[in-house]
This record gives sequence, structure tokens and C-alpha cells, in this order.
Amino acid sequence: MNKLENFIYGILDKKSKKTLVVVLTAVAFFASLLMFPTHMVLAKMLPGKSDNTFSIYVDTPIGSSIEQTKLMSTCVVSVLKKEKEVMNIELFLAQGIPLDYAGLVKGASMKRTENVSEISVNLTDKHYRAESSFLMVQRLRPIIKDTCLPLLQGANIKFIEQPSGPPTLASIVVEVHGENLEKIRTISTNVAKILTQTEGLVDIDIMADEIFSKYELIPDKEKIARSGLSVEQVNNILYLAFEGMVIAHKNSKNSPDQIDMFLILEKDSKSLYSETESALQSKLSSLNLMNVQGMMVPLSEVVTIRKVDSNPMIMHKNLSRMVNVIAETDMVSQLYPLLEARDVMLEEFSKEYIVTKEGFSTYMFDLHLEDKNTNEKFLLRWDGEMKVSLDTFRDLGGAFISALILIFLLLVIYYKSYAISGIVLLGSFLSLIGVIVGHWVANWFTSETFFLTATSLIGFIALIGISSRNSLLLIDFAKSLMEYHGMKKRRAIAVAAATRAKPIALTAVAIILGSALLASDPVFGGLGVALISGTIAAVFVSLLFVPVLMDNSKAMDFDIANHPSEDNISITK
Amino acid sequence: MADKKKYQVTDVAGRLAKGFLRSPLTAVLGVFLLLMGYLALSTMPREEDPQIAISGGAVIVAMPGASPKEIENIIVKPLERKLREIRGIEHIYGMAMDNVGIVNVMYHIGENREDSNLKLYDKVMQNMDKMPKGVMQPLIKPFDIDIDIPIITVAFYPKTNSHLDDAELFKIVRKVQQKINAVDSVAKTTLKGARKAQYNIEVDMGKLSAYHLSLGQIMQAVQSVAVNVPEVKGRTADNKLVIFGVKNAIENVDDVGSIIVVQYMGSPIYLRDVAKVSIGLDIQNFQTAKIVVRDDINSSAFSEEHSQITMTVAKLAGTNAVFVAEDVLKVLQKYEKEFKKEGVGYLVTRNYGERANEAVNELMHHLMITIIIIALMLVFALGWRESLIVTFSVPAILAVTLFTAWMTGQTMNRITLFALLLSLGLLVDAAIIVIENIHRHLHSHGVEDKDMDEILIEATDEIGAPTNIATLAIILTMVPMAFVGGMMGSFMKPIPYNVPVALVASLFIAYIFTPYLSLKLLKKPEHKHHHNDKEGKS
Repeated sequence: MNKLENFIYGILDKKSKKTLVVVLTAVAFFASLLMFPTHMVLAKMLPGKSDNTFSIYVDTPIGSSIEQTKLMSTCVVSVLKKEKEVMNIELFLAQGIPLDYAGLVKGASMKRTENVSEISVNLTDKHYRAESSFLMVQRLRPIIKDTCLPLLQGANIKFIEQPSGPPTLASIVVEVHGENLEKIRTISTNVAKILTQTEGLVDIDIMADEIFSKYELIPDKEKIARSGLSVEQVNNILYLAFEGMVIAHKNSKNSPDQIDMFLILEKDSKSLYSETESALQSKLSSLNLMNVQGMMVPLSEVVTIRKVDSNPMIMHKNLSRMVNVIAETDMVSQLYPLLEARDVMLEEFSKEYIVTKEGFSTYMFDLHLEDKNTNEKFLLRWDGEMKVSLDTFRDLGGAFISALILIFLLLVIYYKSYAISGIVLLGSFLSLIGVIVGHWVANWFTSETFFLTATSLIGFIALIGISSRNSLLLIDFAKSLMEYHGMKKRRAIAVAAATRAKPIALTAVAIILGSALLASDPVFGGLGVALISGTIAAVFVSLLFVPVLMDNSKAMDFDIANHPSEDNISITK
Repeated sequence: MADKKKYQVTDVAGRLAKGFLRSPLTAVLGVFLLLMGYLALSTMPREEDPQIAISGGAVIVAMPGASPKEIENIIVKPLERKLREIRGIEHIYGMAMDNVGIVNVMYHIGENREDSNLKLYDKVMQNMDKMPKGVMQPLIKPFDIDIDIPIITVAFYPKTNSHLDDAELFKIVRKVQQKINAVDSVAKTTLKGARKAQYNIEVDMGKLSAYHLSLGQIMQAVQSVAVNVPEVKGRTADNKLVIFGVKNAIENVDDVGSIIVVQYMGSPIYLRDVAKVSIGLDIQNFQTAKIVVRDDINSSAFSEEHSQITMTVAKLAGTNAVFVAEDVLKVLQKYEKEFKKEGVGYLVTRNYGERANEAVNELMHHLMITIIIIALMLVFALGWRESLIVTFSVPAILAVTLFTAWMTGQTMNRITLFALLLSLGLLVDAAIIVIENIHRHLHSHGVEDKDMDEILIEATDEIGAPTNIATLAIILTMVPMAFVGGMMGSFMKPIPYNVPVALVASLFIAYIFTPYLSLKLLKKPEHKHHHNDKEGKS
């Protein structure tokens, strides 16, 4: 103990040594801050978590038949069947897998068209499996895409992993807002192209309906009326013939549900020999309608066929038209590919548009486009996990600042001194050095990138409290020594630091050991590392840096006389 | 003023220590706390992830024959404007498609679900008079029904070599579903990929024109026969009731085929003459499900593709996923014999109950390891008796925290336990600081003259003020986290809720039990440690 006491006293006694401590601390602080722009420490909201399951969404272009979708999905299943760690594979055609956390926001429950399917893959237990689910997905993604995507032009296969935190639509979502529907389609195609070229982004998809050709049957009202038919009758018979209808039902004693009677044209009768207009024409000519006189009128007589483009769905978000382009990240943080893609977009779009950037907000990556010729305005908005991250970091940042203010006020009430409160706060804030360096060090030991995450921030906020406790105990003790023992300020600070070193170290070790197991968790690893490394930094800060500040501060000048109360607690004699 | 406050705060530590030091009830309190914790641990609802209250809904308005642009102008835009008036909505998504317009609303995370749904209904109903002509009645679907995530999914499939058809499989699964729905705390069960039995009437177009018939005639013919009517009552002369009724003319699939569609000159044309009438599956339903499984766990090959029915089981909010899952599996086991006889295989493809239990147990395991490590460290730093005292305080604090969480309706999930793990490093602090000060006092000079009680109370009281302030500071850092919004905020809520409770508990436990246990376990040292002999004996 004496050694430490003398050591600290030695520092306090020499001005050059004091300056050295302050300078070293400042250097360490800025050096650690520099680790962000130099990408030595990477930020991400939440890292991936290994799970026993993942799912695959298969989307064939709008207007594809269930048979085409099935072909595609069966191909995916056949690749998965070769995997040793796969226990079972479930395929849900034209519907989502039973709702899970990921599907909640990805609209899995809304799926009911022929061009979608979802595959749920269950793996062996993660404790006995060498390969984590996210690495497996990363490995399988190119294999499956290369094998199955060529089967059908325009199809899309997406890999969905269970989110470790709250679910989002996708890692990266670009909303293209604008009034001109065709223009936003072209812009979104460009955006998708840029995202595809960006390294680290996979599963890019434009969430807009493909335009496909279809036939419009235009009823000839006059002919219909003259042949004693009605338009409604035409519609009904057409639907009945090709889609079929439940026309009656029967209650049954032995069946769990009512038995429906379903009327439809026989498969051979309704199938067209080709996609052409003439094929449709000839089919319709053999479909007869009966008029009120009991005469048969071929359907083709009362309608004319016209080939048209389909009308794609119009999407709105918050009352403005938009198209979503989504992308997933391939084991990297979404921030860096986003910035890269955004730079390319800035360059690309400035050719035709006047591009302005958004100011500082949680929409700070947004781009406003204005057409150079027509002055039409468009907005590229970044949403998805990035937006959630920014919102969370903003809120946590706000929480952090309010925590600082609250602690400061609490200390001012307790010490009735701004300077002392400032010392405590500054000391706590410096544990940031440890947090950042800790992540850098942790990155060495893990095979995947160790990200600074939202949980790291939570750890940091908690650290503020913990390290302020260290400084508090120190100041309180030094104050008592001066007040009750009349010790010299410098000596008192040194004694206090030396005496308090033991409980400070003990509680620090307790926190480090307590967080050691946290550090191995994929989600809360950031919190664990932040606590461990931050605490180590806090110990050094409170035993070296804080005493220097205390010594320099006039507010720490206490002496025996100025304390009035006698019945206050006494310090150990 | 502030001076006085400081004094009183300081006093709490000493007063608690003094009050409980010789009280016979202290031991009882300790046992009671541990018991409460055990009770909470064993009965508190467990789940893997905390439940996030997501509310929202969809308004679906159909207008047959309208193009997306028409729908956008007539339905989606006015509807969006009206719905925007509702308070608490975060995003509105509009979709204009052929024939139908859908407007989805998403409320801010954490909005009350029932209120949100009510507001949505209310807004749509209030504006029914503004509905454009030619549109159908709007459908309002709150999301909560679809949003309850199933905790268990079971896939039923016909085993290889079994001749079970899809409709029979459905019959069996439907029967099981009825029983599962009867299990306590089960909310919603659904079947995915279920195929119903149905009579299919597939008309041959060539024959149709040969007989000079139209589809409409066939429809009418079937509808006129397949009717259900209630029975009628007749009266006899002496006012007795005679009950009689017309039975549904269709008993089985052959009856459907024998329906006379039309008569030409007295010769009937039966339905089976122009159409293939068969009992089969709902051919119009393309929402099917398939499964491939390993025939047994170790086999390297997969079975061929089976069609399957997946039953999903959701639980009521706030109930224990572990118990519900166990109960559901028990019901399934009861059917095992029947399944074997019928050739039905079943596979639990999702079990959140088990996962929740695993996650909770793993974290409890981590907690235990951490406590042991800290105890070991203290043995070296302070001595085994002191270490024992601190180690006792940990389960006591955790017990109080868990019990409080249980009482406030929280569930035990990953985040709650992380909150405990996070606070573990912090909550031994108070006890360590107290015990360290007691230790220092006991080993300082002049200790012989003092009463043991007095030393303990003084040692506790002395560090009371800074410890209180420091703990308060840590609590203050946690409180603002409760105001973090959005999904992430909701997800993290257990941390700001539980860490402060644990910290407050740690203070009280440290002030009450540390001096008490020190009195029982520690003694004034007979021989002084040499490093305290700086000033010599006086």
C-alpha cells in the first residue's frame, strides 16, 4: 500500500509528471476515437446469432404459376438435402412458414399468391454443430443461387436468418419516393443495380410487381344485349370455367368440415395450347353461354381480346408513392456498404438529377433528387435496420447525455461544487477509451468481425455509473482525511488513492469476472467487452488521472475548521 | 439543507445495520427472501425473447374491375388521409392493385393493442358515408391475430409406405387440433397446408357443346338439388305434433353424378355424362406444404417429399411458454398409438418452450459460474468467511429482483437474464465495499477497545453516504434507457426495469445482512496483521 501511496504522491508532487499524466490520457482518448474513422473498430447495431433454423424465401416473377414456383423451390430443397447438418426441410407453397420473429415484419403472413413460397430449414442443435447458422447461410447462398436461379428468369431467392434483436424489413431498405410512377421504377432499378455491385450486399430485391402481358376481354355491350345475355353472366361463366367455384355444399357427419361441391372445366378442356391470342380466341369460341331464349352463344362472339401490359401495384408509404429496394448484408455491418453505395449513387444520379443531401437527422443518409429537365422531385430514403440503428443510437445517445446530466446534478447536490462534480464526470467519461480499445482487442480473438453494437453502448452507459463510484469513494475519503485528520491535501489524496485502491480493484475484478461470460455471447458480447475493458480503463483513470485533477482543483481544499458538524461519521483513526 | 440530506442518507446504512444486527427476525428475512426467489424462478413465465407490443391493422376495400390507378384515387388516397387522423400511428402503407386497395397502418411500438384496434374500427366506421359508390364493404383486419407468433409447430405427414391420403390426414389432424385447443393457455391454433375433401365436378367442354349445354345450367342443376332445409311441424286433429323434413338429396358422391342436368324428350342427361364427378381434394387450393425428413436421426439420406400439414400453436400473452409446450407435447404423445396405426408421422419443427427453457437455464448456469468465480476471488482477497458473506448476498439480491419482476408482470427471457448478468458485477459492489470496510476496521488499531457491534455499525455507516450516492448514480444511468423508443427500446426494456431494482436491493442487502453475517462469522483478530502496525499498539 505504501508503495502505491508514494507513487501517487510522487506524481502529484512534480508538475511535469502531472502534465505527463494529463497529456497521456488525452492522447489515449483521441487515439481511441480515431479507431472509428480508420475502421479499426466497426460499428453495427446487432451482430448475428447462431440458431437452429433459418428460412429461404423464393419469389418467382408476378404472374408465374404455382408449378413454376414449385420447380424453383424443389431445386432449393434438393441442394439443401446434401447438407449433413440439415435435419428436415419444410416447403410452404404460396404461403409463409408459420410466423416467426423475422417474418413478422417481412410480410410473411400476407403471402397468398402463386408466385411465392417459403422454405424452413431446421438444423442440428447449435451446441453440437461446428458451423454457425450464419456461416452456413453465407456458404450456401452462392451455391443455391447459382444452381436454381437460372431455372426461371427474374426469380429471386432470399435467405432469412432469425434476428438477434428486433426484426426489420431488411438490413438495407432504400425507399424511392416520387410522383412519377415510371421514373421511380427506373430509379429503383438503378438503385438495385448499384446495390448489387456493392461488396457485402446480397439478396437484392426490388419490391415492385413485374410488368407482364395479359389479355383483356372487352365485352361488346351491344352484342351482349342483342343476344339476350348479360355482362354479369359473361363474367361468371368465365370465372366458373377457368378458376372454378364452390357452387354448393353438403354437411357431413364423418368429415370435420363441410364438403364443398366444386365446379370447374376439366383440365384438358381448359388448358390453352399456347400463350398466343389465337389460342385464347379458339378456346373462348368453344365456351358457350345460354341466353334467355335457350340458345347457345359462343363467348368469343361477345368479347374482343386485346393484349395489354399488367398494371403493377402502386405502393404508398405515409401518403406518398414509393418503391422499396431491399438488400441484406453478408456478414458485414450495414453501415459501410451503405456509405459506399451512397457515394456511387451520388455520382450516378448527378448526371440526370440535381442531388442534395439531407441535413443532420436520423434520415441523414437520404438523397433528394430533382430532374434537371422536368424539375420532378424524388427522394431516396434509407430505411430498414440502418434507420433502426440510427434511431437507437440517437436514443441511447440521448439516454447517455441525460444520464451524465443527472449524475452531474446529483454530485453537485452532494458536493456543492461544480469542479468536483466535473472531475468525477470527466473521469467516468474517459472509460470510453477502454471500451473502444477493448473492441479492437476483442476483434483479434474472434474469427468474425467483432462489432461495436448497441449493447456496447448500454455497457458504456452503465460504466459511467460504475466509474463515477470509484471517483466518488476516492474524493469522499480524501475529504474526510483532510477534514478530520488535518492531513495535507496532496498526502490525503495519495493516502486515499492507496487505501481505496483495494476495494476499487476488487469491485473492478468482480465486474470483469461477472461480465466474462457475457463476452462470449453473440448479442451481448459487446456489453461484456465494454464492461471488462471499460472497467480496466476506469481503474487507471480513477487511480492516476482523477488524483491529478483533484490535486489541481481548488475545490478540493478542505481543512479541519471549515466543517461544522461533529456528529457526522468519523473516519477510521 | 443539502447537508442535512447527506447526513440522513448516511444514516440509513448505519440505522439498517443497527436495527437488524441483533434482531432475531433477520435470519427469517433472509430465508424468506431466498424462498421468494426460488418461487419466482420456478413459476415465472419463461420465453426466449421479450414480447414486443406491435399493433396495427389493414383496411381492405374491394372494387371489382378497377385498375390500380383508379383504386389509388378512389380508395387508397382518401382512406390514407382519414386514417392519418388517428393518433399514435407511425407509418401508413397503401397498396393499390387491380380490383382491391389495401391500407396498412402501423402504430408506434408499445401502443396499447386494444385501443389501437378500436381507433382503427372507429375511424373507418365514422366515415362509411364517404365511401365511393360501387365499392364493397371494407374489411378491417387488426394485425394482432396474425401476429401472435406460434410457440410450437408440428408437422404431420404420411409415413413412407403409408397409403394415407391428404384428406384423411386432415381429418386426423383436425381431431388432434380440437384437443390441443383445449390445453390451458393455448391461444390460437392453425393448420397450414391442410387439404379438405371435396366433390369435384370437372366438366368436359366438348361434351358440353355436344349435348348443347352451358355451364350455367350445370350450376343451377346442382344447386337446386343440394339444399338443406329445416324440418317442418304438422299437427294432427288432436293437436299432436308430427315432425317431418326433406333430407339433403345428396348423400354421397354418386348422388352428385346422378343429378339430372336436363331432359331431352324424356331422356335425362346426368351430370356424370358431361363431367367427371369424383371425391377428392380441394384442387383450387394451391397453398400446399411439403416436408422432407431424415427417417431416423442418424440416417444420412432424406425421405422422399411428403405432403404435410403443419399445426401451429400460439400461447396467450404472459403465460409460460415452457409449460404450454410441455402440455401440448403430452397431448400429442397420447395420440402416438393412433398415429402409428394410421401411418401418420409427426415432427415438432419448432419448440420455443424448449428454447426458452434452454436459454434461461444456460443463463442461470452462467450466473452460477460467475457467482462462484467472484466468491473464489474474494477468498483470496479478503478471506473465506468474508467471501461467504458476499456470496450469500448475491442470491438474495437476485431473489428480490426476480420476485419484483414477477410481481410486475414481466416474463423471464433472454433480456431479463442479461439485465441480471449485467447487474451482477455491480451488485456485489455494495457488499464488497461494506465487507472490505468491516475487514479494515477489524484489522485496524484500537479495535480491542471497541465493541464488535459498534465496529460493524460504524464500518457500515461510514461508507454509507458515498455508496448510496454512487449506487444512485448507476441507477440514474439506467433510467433514461427506459425512454428509448422503437423496437430496440421495447426489446431492451427489461434492463432499465430490472437493473435499478437489483441495485436498490443490493444496497439494502449489503446494509442489513453484511453486518449481521459478519457478527456471526467474523471475529476480532487476536493477532494484528503486521502492515497495520504502522503506529504500534497503544
